[in-house]
Amino acid sequence: MRELRPWISLIFRRPGRLLVGGLLILITLLSGMGLLALSGWFITATALTGLLLATGVQASLNLYIPGGGIRFFAVARTVARYAERVYNHDTVLRLLTDIRVALFERLSLAARYRRTALRGPQWLSRLTNDVDALDTLYLRLIAPTALAALVTALLIVVAWVFYSQALAIGLLITLLPAFLVATVVVYLRTRHLVYRQTDARERARTDVIEHIEGFAELTAAGRTGKHAALCLRQADQIARNDSRADTRTGWNLGLAQVMVNLAVVLAVWMGLQLFQQGSVTGPVVVLLPVALLGLLEVYSMLPDAFARLGGTLASAARLNRDCVAESAAGSAASQPPADPRHALELDQVTVRFGDHSPVISRFDLAVLNGEWVNIIGNSGAGKSSLAEVMAGLEIPASGCARRITSAYLTQQTVLFEDTLKANLLIGRPDASDADVWRVLGLVAMADRFTREPAQLNTWLGSMGSQLSGGEARRIALARVLLNEAPLIILDEPFTGVDTHTRNSITADMKQWLGEKTVVALGHAPEALPASDRTLRLS
Amino acid sequence: MAEPATARAWLGGLAAHGRPLILATVSAGVVVGLATIAQMAFLAGIVHQGLVAEVPVEQLSLLFTGAVAAILVRGLAQGLQSRFAARCSRKVRSEVRHQVNRCWQATGPVAMGQISAGTLAREWLDHTDALHGYFARFLPQMILAVIVPLLVLVVVFSLDWLAGIFLLLSAPLIPLFMALVGMGAEKLNQQHFQTIGRLSGQFLDRVRGLTTLQLFGQTATAAEILRERSDDYRRVTMKTLRIAFLSSAVLEFFSSVAIAVVAIYIGFGLLGYITYGPAEDLTLFSGLLVLLLAPEFFQPLRLLSQHYHDRAAAMGAGEELVRRLQSVEAGAQAAQGSFQPQSPDLVSVRDLSLAYDRERPVLDQVSLEVSKGDVIALTGPSGGGKSSLLYLIAGFMQPDRGNISVFGAAPGIQPFGWLGQSPFLVHGTWADNVRLTTPDATDISIETALRQVGLGDLLNNRKSGIYSRITEDGQGLSGGQARRLSLARVFVANYDLILLDEPTAGLDSDSEIYILEALHKLALAGKTLIFATHHQALLTLANRTLLVSEGGVQDA
Repeated sequence: MRELRPWISLIFRRPGRLLVGGLLILITLLSGMGLLALSGWFITATALTGLLLATGVQASLNLYIPGGGIRFFAVARTVARYAERVYNHDTVLRLLTDIRVALFERLSLAARYRRTALRGPQWLSRLTNDVDALDTLYLRLIAPTALAALVTALLIVVAWVFYSQALAIGLLITLLPAFLVATVVVYLRTRHLVYRQTDARERARTDVIEHIEGFAELTAAGRTGKHAALCLRQADQIARNDSRADTRTGWNLGLAQVMVNLAVVLAVWMGLQLFQQGSVTGPVVVLLPVALLGLLEVYSMLPDAFARLGGTLASAARLNRDCVAESAAGSAASQPPADPRHALELDQVTVRFGDHSPVISRFDLAVLNGEWVNIIGNSGAGKSSLAEVMAGLEIPASGCARRITSAYLTQQTVLFEDTLKANLLIGRPDASDADVWRVLGLVAMADRFTREPAQLNTWLGSMGSQLSGGEARRIALARVLLNEAPLIILDEPFTGVDTHTRNSITADMKQWLGEKTVVALGHAPEALPASDRTLRLS
Repeated sequence: MAEPATARAWLGGLAAHGRPLILATVSAGVVVGLATIAQMAFLAGIVHQGLVAEVPVEQLSLLFTGAVAAILVRGLAQGLQSRFAARCSRKVRSEVRHQVNRCWQATGPVAMGQISAGTLAREWLDHTDALHGYFARFLPQMILAVIVPLLVLVVVFSLDWLAGIFLLLSAPLIPLFMALVGMGAEKLNQQHFQTIGRLSGQFLDRVRGLTTLQLFGQTATAAEILRERSDDYRRVTMKTLRIAFLSSAVLEFFSSVAIAVVAIYIGFGLLGYITYGPAEDLTLFSGLLVLLLAPEFFQPLRLLSQHYHDRAAAMGAGEELVRRLQSVEAGAQAAQGSFQPQSPDLVSVRDLSLAYDRERPVLDQVSLEVSKGDVIALTGPSGGGKSSLLYLIAGFMQPDRGNISVFGAAPGIQPFGWLGQSPFLVHGTWADNVRLTTPDATDISIETALRQVGLGDLLNNRKSGIYSRITEDGQGLSGGQARRLSLARVFVANYDLILLDEPTAGLDSDSEIYILEALHKLALAGKTLIFATHHQALLTLANRTLLVSEGGVQDA
C-alpha cells in the first residue's frame, strides 16, 4: 500500500470537499435505510394496532410523524442522491486536474524523462491508463469503504443501545467478516491476478505488433498460423486472468451478501426473543432487520473496487518509478565555457548507448562567440546525439560539454495543441505581438496567418496537424529564433521546407541573429545556411 | 462505412455464439431473484408468526431454516452468475480474436502493411476487451431487468393488486423507463468520456513536448495552463452533467416515492381506514412482504443504468471492428481464379493482369518464365509494377486475371524466402528470431547464417552468443542490421525461391555490401532469386534483367 501514499496525500489536500462529498453519500444511504426501516416499523405498528381495533380494544397510533418521516426520507434520498452525484463528480474532475498537474510537475523535474526509454507512444498510453486508475480512487474505493464501516458501526451501536448487548455482538460477529470478505479478502484473492495484467497486456501488444510487422516474412515462410496462435494464446491468458478475477469477485460479493442476510435473520431471531421477553415492542423488532437489508446496497459497491486495487497499486508503483524527481542530475550538465571567447566547448566527448560501440568518440570542438558552424553527417552518424550533448540534454559517456545559454531546435518538430501565439511565446514569454509577427515574417509564415480569421490566435490542431510538415518546422524554427539565448543550436532546421523558401529564410536569418553564435547540423551542406566553418562527421 | 446498425447486428451474432453462457448467466440471475423473493417471504412470515400469532421463536425454526436456505441459494446463484458471465465474455472475446485473425490472413501482407501496426494492435487488444462489459454485464442485465421486476410484480399482485398497480404506475412501462435511463446514461457517458479524452489529450500533449518546454524553461507556465484548461473543461462538463444526472434522479425519485406510497397505503389499509379494493385482506405478512419486495422491483433497473456505459463502449469498439472485418470480405470476393499447375522446374506467369484503377492497369497480359536457379532483377520506374509482380508471385495479392505457377504449385503454397523493406525482429534472443521461421534450426546453422550476413561482430560482443537478447540496452538494431537478420532467416531455411523487394534501398554502405555478398552466395547455391531493384550492383548480380513498365515486362 506504500505505493499509494503520495497519491492519497494529494487527494486529501481537499479535505473539505471529500468530507462534504462523503456526508452526501452518507445521507443518501441513511435516507434509503431510513425509508425502508421506518416503513417496516409503520406497517408493523399499523398491523398490530389494526388487530387491536378489530377486536374492539381502544387503541390509537400517531400517523403523522411516521407518515411525514417516510415522505421526508423519500425526498431526502432523491435530493441527496442527485446532490451527491453532481458534487462528487465535480470532485473527481478536480482531483483529475490535481493529479495530472502534480504528475506533470514531477515529470518536468525527472532527469530520467530525458532518456529515451520513457517517450514512446506505448509509454504515453500506459501513463494515461495509470493516471485514470488513480482518478477514481476516492469515489470508488476510499469513500465507500469508509462509509460502509461507518454505517455498520452505527447499526451495531443502535443494536447495543436499543436492543441487547448479545444482538450487538452477534451482528459484530456476522458483519465484520462480511466487511472483510467484501474488501480485504477480495483484494488478496485477486491481487496476483491483476497486478501483472498491465505488463502482460503490454507484452501482448508488443508481440502482436511484431506479428503484424513481420506478416510478409511469416506468410512467406508459412508461419503466420503458428505465430498467430501464440498471440491468441497470450490474449486468451489475459482474458482468463480477467475472468478468474471477476469470478472470484463475484463469489466474494455473494458471500458478503449471505453474511449480511444472515445478520438480518439473526436480528429477527433475537428481536423476537426480546419481544417475547417484553423488552422491545413489535414495530421495533422489524426496524433493525429492515435497516440491515439496506447494508446490502453499501456492501455491493465494495468488491469491485477492491478487485481493481491490485491494478491501481501497480499503476501507482509505475508512476512513482517513472516520475522520480532527480533535479540535481539535470543541472550538473550546465557549465560555462572555460575560455570566455568561446560560446561552446566540447572536450573529448564520447557518446555511447549501453555496451554498443560509441556513436561519437573523443570529439573536440570549440566555437567562438559569434561564429557560425555547420556540422554535416549521414543519418546514423551521431548528429542528433551530438546536438543533444551540445544542448545539455544528453550527458556524454566521457568528456565534457560546456556552453553559454543556448536555444535548441530539436530534430523532431514539437508543436502543442494550442494557439499559434502560445506556441511561439514558449520561446520568449514576454514577446509582443509585433515581435511574433516579425519572426513569422522571417520564416515566411506571416502571410499564411494574416489570412486566418483568428490570426495569432489560430489553433494548431493535434500535433500541429493543420500545418504541413514544412510549415510546422518553420514555426518550431521561429520559436527558437524568438528566444534570446546567445547560442543557437539547430538540428536539421529545414526538414520539409522547399529550396526556394529555405533560401529566402537563410538570407534574412543572418541579420535577425546578428551577433549570436549558431551551430547547425544537417545531412548535407545545402540543407543548412551558409557558415563560417563546416565540419564533417564520419 | 459501417453504420451502428451493422455493429449491432455483429454484436447480435456474437451473442448467438455465446448464447448458452448468456442463458446460464440469466438463469442464475433469475434464481437470485426467486431466492430473494423466497427470503423476503420467509422473513415476513417469521415476523407475522412472531408478532401477530405470538408463536415462540423456538417453534419457528422451520421458517428460519427456509430463510437461511433461501439466503444460501441466493449467494450461490450470485456467485454462479458472475462465473458464467466471466466465461461468456472470455468466450466471446476469443471468438472475436479468431475472427480478427482470419481477417488478417485474408487481408494479406500487402494490404496489412498499409495499416498502422498500432491501430491493428489496438483493435486486437483494446477494442476486443471493450466488449467485456457488454457481454458480462449489460446483455444479461437487460434481460434480467425485464424478468425479475415481472416476477416481483406477479407476487405483489397476488398479495395485493392495488399495491401492484402502484408499483406498475411508478414505472408506467418498463421499456419507457429503460429508454429514459438509457438516454441519460448515454449522454452522461459521452460527455464524461469526451472530457476525460480531452483532458488526457492536453496532458499527453504537454508530456510529449516536455523536452521542448524544459529547453525553454517553460514547464511551470505549462503546468499552470494545464490547470486552467482542466478547470475550464470541468466547468463546462458540470453544466451538462447537472442535467444528465437528472435521469438517475428520476429513477431514484420514482422508486423512493413508490416505496413511500406503498408503505402508507399498506399502513392505512392495515388500520382498516381503506375499505375498498383488496386492502381489507392485508395482513402483516402480506403488507411487510410487499414492502420488502418493492426495492427489489427497482434494483434490476438501477443495475442496468449502471451498466449502460458498457453498451456504449461495446458499440464504439464494435463499429471499428466491423469496419475492419468487412473491409476484407469486400476484397476477398473480387479474387479467386482457377489455378493451372505448370512444370515443377519453372516459375511461370501467364497472361497476368492487375489494375488498382480501371483506367491504368499496373500489369497487362504479362507472361514470364523463370527457370530454377535463375537470378532475375526486375527494374523500371517506381509505380511501374515491379513490386506488384513480386507480390503476385508471392501470393500476397490475387491478380485480376491470369495464372501463376510456382514450381508446380499455386503462389504462397510452398514456403519461400521474403525480404521486404520494413525491418522485422521480435523481442528475444538471436536464436528466437531465426527460429521464428525455421523452428528446427540447429545452433550451428543459426550462428553460421548470422556470420554470413555480417552480424558476427555483434555476436562476438555478447556473452551468451546467439542466446543473448538482441535488444539488450533498449537499443535496437539499425534498419540495415535488421534487414540482414531477415536475410539470415532465409539462409537458415534453405528455400528454393527467394523474393526480395528493393533489398538495398536506404541502407548504409556496410549493410549494402553484406547483402550483396549474401545474395551472391545464395545465387551460387542454386537458389532462384527474383528481386525488384534500381541498384546497379544488384543488377549486375542478375543473369537476367527485366524492365517492368507501363503494364508490360520485357528483357532489358
